[in-house]
Amino acid sequence: MRFQDAAKDARAVVYAGIQGDPLVARAADLLADATAGQRVLARAVMNGETIDAEIWRKMFPTLFGTSAPPSGSAERDRSEALLEASLGVAGRGELVRSQFRGAIVEAVTERLLARRVGPQALRRERRILFDGVPAEIHPYDVTVESDGAAEAYDCKWGARGISADVLHQLDDARAHAAEEGARLLPVLVVFDARRSCEVRLARQTAPRTGTRLVSLETLDRLAGRRAEATA
Amino acid sequence: MTDVTGLVERVVAALDRLASLGETVADEQIYVRDLALVWTARLRSVAAEVTTRADAGLAAGGATLPSGELETALGAMIAEADRIADPHRAIDWLSTLPQTTLVALGEVAW
Repeated sequence: MRFQDAAKDARAVVYAGIQGDPLVARAADLLADATAGQRVLARAVMNGETIDAEIWRKMFPTLFGTSAPPSGSAERDRSEALLEASLGVAGRGELVRSQFRGAIVEAVTERLLARRVGPQALRRERRILFDGVPAEIHPYDVTVESDGAAEAYDCKWGARGISADVLHQLDDARAHAAEEGARLLPVLVVFDARRSCEVRLARQTAPRTGTRLVSLETLDRLAGRRAEATA
Repeated sequence: MTDVTGLVERVVAALDRLASLGETVADEQIYVRDLALVWTARLRSVAAEVTTRADAGLAAGGATLPSGELETALGAMIAEADRIADPHRAIDWLSTLPQTTLVALGEVAW
């Protein structure tokens, strides 16, 4: 088993521009430290129609209402900053918005993983090659590449992104690694509730038992922390 | 006291409207129906728990928000859901609206 940079085709070059946008980094930095409720806010705003900040503040009284953390507190400041960054994404056209959302999930995943394995073990947009096996078309969004602890991450904005192709690619990689006597942990990171992911998975026949699912409520496990118990 | 059950039923009705729109995506009809079914059950379960706790005089999550704040929040969410005209975004919101509702209720968002 060996890792290789994905080919720099036209799609990759365009997407690299999105991945390198300061708004992606800003949103990812905020989301990495966000509470569950703040992550739901970001998901809603980036999925939403209105770009009126005051309407979103009304929708989230536990973040912005009279019983929310007071103005000037770190929590309140993060809620405001996340709202602003999320509106920055929502204000883009539909296609660009979709690309930003995907890039943000990848960037959050990278930041949280870095807290557990260190940034030097992390790579982006990598293929995994096995002897005698054709390379997969789609590179992995994030990989952990350290001796004896290889991990491959596929990141999705929503549960609807879970497909048979995705599940097969992840499980195939795990199986091919095992055939070579190596260990590879495939992980599907979905910026959506596990309940929705399970609904999506319920009717899939593709193998999934060897693939770990990380959903919105368990994102912090990427960093080696326990999931938050409450919103 | 806030009528959490009544408010949640308004959200459930909005979910139904989102599902009707999402079902126009032919390949996703079953997923859309399953999603609406599962989240509706979750929301009704939480509404019942919150109401039971409130009746017992116990802390009741977001139902203890200042008068009108929860109603305003859920009303704004429903209005946002009703603004959605794209069936693909409606499918996204079938998952998003229940989570925002649960956050407003002060409950675990899943």
